[in-house]
Amino acid sequence: MTEQQAPPLLNELSKKFKPSDDVVQTPLQIKGQCAFLFYVRTVVDGDKLQQTVIKPFFEMASEEDYASYILSLPNQIEIPEIDKLLMLISAGAVIVAIDNQLCLLELRLVKNNEVQETTMEPTIHGPQKGLSEDIGTTINLIRQRYHRASLKVEDIIIDDASNIAVSLLYDSDRVDPEVLKKIKKELGNLKTPLFQSGGELQHFLNKSKFTLFPTAMVTERPDRIVYNLVAGKIVIAIDGSPNVIVVPVIFFDFMASMEDNYHVSAISGFTILLRYLGLFMCIVLPSLYIAMTSYNPEILRIELALTVAGSRIGVPYPSFIEVIFMLLFMELLTEASMRLPKAVSGTATTVGGLILGTAATEAALTSTIMVIIISAVAISTFVIPINEMSFAVRVVRLLLIIYTSLFGMVGLLIGFLGIIMFMANKDSLGTPYLKIPWKSKTNELEGGQ
Amino acid sequence: MAGKQKMIKGFLTATLLLALLLQAGCAFKDIDKRTFVVGIGIDPSEKVKNGFRVTLKLAKPIGNVKQESTPTYAYISHDADTVAVAIHEMETRVDTVLDFGHNRIIVMNKELLTKDLDTFMDAFTRRGDIQMICFVAVAAKTSEEVVRFEPTIEAPASIALYNYFDNTGTESPYVVTTFLYEFRREVLGKGKDTVLPIIGVDKDNQEFHVTKSIVLKWGAKPVELTAEETKYYNSLVNKAVGFSYKIEEDSMFLVLNVTEVKFKYKIVLNEGDPRIDMKIGIVGNVGESSQRLSGKSLKKYDKLAAEEIQKKTMALLTKLQENNVDPFGFGLHYRATRLSRKGLDKEWEERIYPEIKFNVKVDVELQSTGAVE
Repeated sequence: MTEQQAPPLLNELSKKFKPSDDVVQTPLQIKGQCAFLFYVRTVVDGDKLQQTVIKPFFEMASEEDYASYILSLPNQIEIPEIDKLLMLISAGAVIVAIDNQLCLLELRLVKNNEVQETTMEPTIHGPQKGLSEDIGTTINLIRQRYHRASLKVEDIIIDDASNIAVSLLYDSDRVDPEVLKKIKKELGNLKTPLFQSGGELQHFLNKSKFTLFPTAMVTERPDRIVYNLVAGKIVIAIDGSPNVIVVPVIFFDFMASMEDNYHVSAISGFTILLRYLGLFMCIVLPSLYIAMTSYNPEILRIELALTVAGSRIGVPYPSFIEVIFMLLFMELLTEASMRLPKAVSGTATTVGGLILGTAATEAALTSTIMVIIISAVAISTFVIPINEMSFAVRVVRLLLIIYTSLFGMVGLLIGFLGIIMFMANKDSLGTPYLKIPWKSKTNELEGGQ
Repeated sequence: MAGKQKMIKGFLTATLLLALLLQAGCAFKDIDKRTFVVGIGIDPSEKVKNGFRVTLKLAKPIGNVKQESTPTYAYISHDADTVAVAIHEMETRVDTVLDFGHNRIIVMNKELLTKDLDTFMDAFTRRGDIQMICFVAVAAKTSEEVVRFEPTIEAPASIALYNYFDNTGTESPYVVTTFLYEFRREVLGKGKDTVLPIIGVDKDNQEFHVTKSIVLKWGAKPVELTAEETKYYNSLVNKAVGFSYKIEEDSMFLVLNVTEVKFKYKIVLNEGDPRIDMKIGIVGNVGESSQRLSGKSLKKYDKLAAEEIQKKTMALLTKLQENNVDPFGFGLHYRATRLSRKGLDKEWEERIYPEIKFNVKVDVELQSTGAVE
């Protein structure tokens, strides 16, 4: 019995993978039957390989039987050209060579497939679980909530260093084909060396260098994804990221929480009103303080004007330095409590709270009114349901402060108008950013675009 | 590389420009660098001939309003030959900027009402930072006394004179309110004469007295109204309510609390003698009585009250007519409802108004005896 030679392709592949120690090229032999396996040990599910590939080999009567068995396995994939083949093997595919016939089996070992809790957009009612870091599980979660043949899943190959898996999900009955074409083109033209998360991709999708407002929504809520799919939007899922991207979006999408759909109308109406009030407050309030104390104190009531003037006794810097100083502290505090490990972040907020709360006023660094304003601003920033928008708002606020400290009340108005004009000029994949959705919820769900 | 350099340059320019923000410019005045004027008083000057003495009430900033027990105001007075000059000269007497944005009261001396009223009024209407919604009032003695006076009831950061005249504080039919824009319009315009409240100071009891008023016709002698007349005028023209009428009959008396006043008039010229038909409707209830009242006899009291009120209104109207002043604005009404022609206002003022008859009809409607039975 002569030992069979491994197919030339396997040798070529193993040359490409050398000198990785976790690449396995092994023959299976019994009584004249012979097969070759080629895989990367660390990404292949060993148990599954043993059960579905190796064990049957020794139980089958002939090579032909085994070949037809392998070909009938559900996870068998066609062999693509060499580049993609390399990518698949590194992602967990196994090549089985029987009698010069090559089969490719997908036996990925995925460890990060647990479904995560919703952390960015928590709701009281509604689903508590979000998506998964594994793209397969993510798509599974979406498909399990949306049982329709028209839900299409398209894999997109992105030309970057990591060859990460990206999938496009949409309802082909409802999606706007123009937008679909555009997004495919954008993804095809993506010139980026490496990207690893949903947020990053949405950044690359923005063409201009300086962007202030997000033009794609990053979400982790399956219910929001399904809602958007039904409304004809496109979802981009990325392997390794527990968030997906929804395009195209308008400004008002960022102000909607899924919670709105789960409450009675009066309550959700009230919360929506509260949210817009919060948005307005956290943008305008710091600048309004500057405008009122330094340019137009006659807008205030006399009692308030006198109190503000009194509380500013001994404050060394002009009002805008005071505002910027306090805002900076607040931003640092927010940033610190976000990045720190959970065990330490409590300390950070307590210490920060002490500084911002009373110590700053007692040291006459700021006025008491300022502390109230800053806390109102901080709280109202968190009312915005989608994080990206609240980040954007934090920056907008600073721009308005600069305008206001230069031109007073007029500057505040002009700056605010400027922001509205800027948003009106913007679009997300052809959809005007400030488009006002004059549609009821049912209309939106029925009509798509 | 060139792009990067450009970016760095741009960034540096931006930072340098932003650093300019630290240099507070001239328009930028923090609130603690301003002194709020919360009252202006004008008197004829004793030192400067034909000049004015301007008194300002300045609010001192208070660190903690709640801990402050007494009002914290400062006062400065200055003599100059015009009001604008006096204000400008006073700016040198205070270390911070005088901010008139919060001033809501201008008190004038009675003597000034006959003098060249429009010149010093001009100073106020021309200044951009004095709001046209300032209240205008007349001092019983001198305006310096009124402005400098601090009643015991005055709380810190709350100015008593403001509370008198805007409707957030006291609402009394004895207090008439005239804004600066009204004052200017009525003084310079024809057809309606302005009514200004008279602020008196009661030093013994440490309180203001705002009950009387004065009718001012530019160029003529001002006519003072008594407290009672002010009340009638105010309740008719401004629909001021919340007052009482005392009615006496034989041995009993009863007091009406008025809750609603309706007032309508019509100038009738083509039926015999020119006359003004006036209809006054008063709704209220009995507030006090010396006897037990029955609900059935309310109609009787209605009639009694109507007669009383009719008499007093007639007295007020005749007094105004005799002095040839017209705070009700009959003349304005006449001019507004006639085709414009030359001499229209003269005709009213000289021929019609002095002769016109008043025909007052009063309707009182008592809603209840005011007692729970």
